[in-house]
Amino acid sequence: MALQQKYQELINAAKTSEVQNLQVREQNNVLYIDGEASSGAVKDNLWNIYNKIDPDFRAGDLVLNVNVKAASGTKAKVVTKESNLNIRKGPGTDQPIVGKAAHNEIVTVLNQTSQQWWLIKTDSGAEGYAYSQYLSPTA
Amino acid sequence: MKRVFIHLVLVASLISGMTLPSCKNKKTDTTNTTTMDTTNTAPVEIATDDQLTNGVKDATKDFPGVTATVNNGEVTLTGNIKRDRLPTLMQSIQALHPKKVNNNLTIEP
Repeated sequence: MALQQKYQELINAAKTSEVQNLQVREQNNVLYIDGEASSGAVKDNLWNIYNKIDPDFRAGDLVLNVNVKAASGTKAKVVTKESNLNIRKGPGTDQPIVGKAAHNEIVTVLNQTSQQWWLIKTDSGAEGYAYSQYLSPTA
Repeated sequence: MKRVFIHLVLVASLISGMTLPSCKNKKTDTTNTTTMDTTNTAPVEIATDDQLTNGVKDATKDFPGVTATVNNGEVTLTGNIKRDRLPTLMQSIQALHPKKVNNNLTIEP
């Protein structure tokens, strides 16, 4: 219960921003918060609160796993630091690169194949798998 | 023998009467803002070390200064990272269903 109190602001924010399938569980002195956010902005806000409560994520007492739900056809912005985003033939960094999406480019999410890898398509027609961490759905 | 059976039936019905409604309440409790947040008591899914090892390989690909090791569900991060890149890495790692993430990174401003 102590961990839920420590991260109460974060839990409350997840509730008020209507994170779906929200689960808050404590197990072996680690708090696990799981759910699905409606946009990248909601997820970013939760991570900002996490970083405020536990600066630089040093405590190792929370696993925050709120992913962004994107229906097929949802637009997403490429949020790499500055480089292009690799588009790959299959879901994995060992897969060949079949195209690239530019930093800040808007692409279409075709399928959330896994939490880590999404099938996307660019306006110029490149289609393949990209690492979801660098995609922010704009819904 | 018959009395023992009746006792058993009584005890069984008492137990089911006590536990079933409380299970139902747990699922529907969404408005409570106090610490009654453990609405789902299913154990947390932890990925296997093989899944985590595969996952951290993809997650750390763009972080050349970072090493991630996996042991018994725990992911330990060592090396160097710039502070503004830390949230991106942590988001990727924590989405892999680790048991715990030990952040031993040296953080550069």
